[in-house]
Amino acid sequence: MDTKRTPRLRRTLVLLLALLALVAASCSGRSESTGGGGGSDGGGGGGGGDGESGAVVDTADCPDTGTAGISDGTIKLASSFPQSGLTSAFAQISKGYLAYFAKVNADGGVEVAGKKYKIEVVSKDDEYKPASTAQNIEQEVGTEGTDAFAVFNVVGTANNVAIRDDLNELCVPNIFAATGSPVWGNESYPWTIGSTLAPYTVEAKAFADYLKEEKPKAKVAMLVQNDDFGKAYEEGFKQQIEGSDITVTEVKTYEAGTDEVTSEVTSLKASGADTFFNGATLLACPNALNAAQEQSWDAVTFVSGTCISKTLMGIAGEAADGVFATTNIKDPLNPAFKDDAAMKEYNETLAEFGADDVDPENGIVAYGYTQGALLVEILESLDKLDRSTLMNKMFELKDLTGGLLLDGVEVNTSPEDRFLAEDVQMIQYNAANKYFENVGEVLDFEGTTPDITPKDLINS
Amino acid sequence: MQLFFDQLMNGIGTGAVYASVALALVIIYRTTGLLNFAQGEMALFSTFVTWWLTDHGWSIWPALLGSIVFSFFAGAAIERVIIRPVEKSKNQLNLVIVTLGLFLAINAICQLLFIKPGQDQVRMPLMFPKGDFELFGLEIQKAILGRAAVLAIECALLFLLLQKTKIGLALRAVASNPESSRLVGINPGNMLMLGWGIAAMLGAIAGTMAASRGTGGFDTSLMQQVLVYAFAAAALGGFDSPLGAVVGGLIVGIARSLTIQYVDFLQGIELVVPLGLIFIVLLVRPNGLFGRNIVERV
Repeated sequence: MDTKRTPRLRRTLVLLLALLALVAASCSGRSESTGGGGGSDGGGGGGGGDGESGAVVDTADCPDTGTAGISDGTIKLASSFPQSGLTSAFAQISKGYLAYFAKVNADGGVEVAGKKYKIEVVSKDDEYKPASTAQNIEQEVGTEGTDAFAVFNVVGTANNVAIRDDLNELCVPNIFAATGSPVWGNESYPWTIGSTLAPYTVEAKAFADYLKEEKPKAKVAMLVQNDDFGKAYEEGFKQQIEGSDITVTEVKTYEAGTDEVTSEVTSLKASGADTFFNGATLLACPNALNAAQEQSWDAVTFVSGTCISKTLMGIAGEAADGVFATTNIKDPLNPAFKDDAAMKEYNETLAEFGADDVDPENGIVAYGYTQGALLVEILESLDKLDRSTLMNKMFELKDLTGGLLLDGVEVNTSPEDRFLAEDVQMIQYNAANKYFENVGEVLDFEGTTPDITPKDLINS
Repeated sequence: MQLFFDQLMNGIGTGAVYASVALALVIIYRTTGLLNFAQGEMALFSTFVTWWLTDHGWSIWPALLGSIVFSFFAGAAIERVIIRPVEKSKNQLNLVIVTLGLFLAINAICQLLFIKPGQDQVRMPLMFPKGDFELFGLEIQKAILGRAAVLAIECALLFLLLQKTKIGLALRAVASNPESSRLVGINPGNMLMLGWGIAAMLGAIAGTMAASRGTGGFDTSLMQQVLVYAFAAAALGGFDSPLGAVVGGLIVGIARSLTIQYVDFLQGIELVVPLGLIFIVLLVRPNGLFGRNIVERV
């Protein structure tokens, strides 16, 4: 009595299976995000020197476009980051540096080799999708690399990986990639460098060192994402606890793109761990903290530097009370910095030049502001404004400070150490006050990243 | 034992959501023979409606009711305005493509309407209190009991509607034979619209439950993986069986939790489990566990 539906059903199901595979593939495209601060130190790749004058970039094969994107006294920078969806929270980063650039421009611009330039940033929404990032950057920079001077602060590891080959080819600087991945130390990509976010392996070392002091027999359970971001935490941490009495009882990975991690947390708790390394990001991070609280798992907890934004910590609320993390940026919410000169300048700048919808209390705005301030400092120190000069300078920074970098955190790079800020401050969340408090002094990890990071993570 | 039980309960907690979405898929499949790929995103929209109401001062349960009513009309409207014109072409694939288009469109509309630039966070209030409930010496989270109860009520109401009312009879008649039902005075068009409306209501419940767990934080990707699991649940239970959808949803949810706990080599790729289940069901029982084997009259 039914119509003939069976053959059709079977065909549709096969189609369905194929489509689901597609959906699954696209879902897992999300990777980690940037959070608040994060200091890094780094040692990146060695080599690069090519003998003469310690120059890292070799312009022999470059097109003759060293000063492209500079005209009428304006330096044009290109960027791409999520501006819609929940990941659009990362768009707040740009509001930080845009406010800083607006201030500099209002004062006449940045002075490079005796001439003043205004700074202009063009950006497009990539919804955190690497394919869109590649498209955006190609449009902004041009297929010949002639439409913008440099690419600045593109958000996301996979997103920067998606553009680094082209930019390498065109010899366009990709500076301050907004992620803490150790891959920015890869010597094969001298035209790409990270920002002041600490490499994830530095975060892992900071926590391992803390445990060695405070909880030398810790049994640690780890939750990490199933990609390079997660691997950096897992391998970095395991390497740091070698030879100590700290053990890893269980590691659970979760699929990038999911935020349902209750079962993983149940499993981690059941491993008997008394310490929880929560390497999750985006909503999976507060969800994991919440699940741990619901299951009455009372563990010393560390969260990823990508999770310390006001938004994610606010979602976790009570469940985040007492969690540890690292940063290298002054938290605008922390009253300890109320009278800090840099913080005052930050607040004044944001009030005068910030967009209407900017939230100066959000740590990622402070991070963006800091990147803007550092870029201006670096540009001012150049003796000639062109791409290779800028890029070579990026690999010989000495004791650079500025923006809202914590006192004691200094940016140092060399051809062998391609990580900007490796010094980090351990911080602890106070849910009642809704900000992180500093724990102890700034940890000096300058130059250690290459040693504490598995080589395959840097060279991938 | 407590661990196994906890994971079982985690599975039921997520399975209740998969089951609700699977039920919605089944309702539409039974009446129209169509797999609605937009079901998850329709549920996402309803979820945002619930959230929007709570953001405007409603408490969670009235907001959910409001969203259910809204979803009924919105679902019916989608059937009437978007699906029906295309249905005339008699080509099933056209419809599938339309629902895929809806999938993308509704997701984009949610972002445009509900996520404002610089917005701090989107949080759904919790439907159920936190904390545990003790049963025979085992601890169960109240939220999981609550979700299971919602699912049970859903099933009961759906059963009453389909089996005990005239409308239900008409819905079943249209599903079984549109031509004959027209002869006895049923308007199949109205019934199809009703089917979409009911499915959208189920989606509103599923989406709100999915968002209203743990921290209550959610974003526009909320239903994307849920839809994959729900399809697996529906395929497992049989696309024409509401009971199958519920059982399938719970099985898939539990399988997922137990995989995470006990199958190390599938870590981080548990999505393989529903895909594997669909594949096996396709091979062994193309009509699903509870689906009827349809014999064609020659």
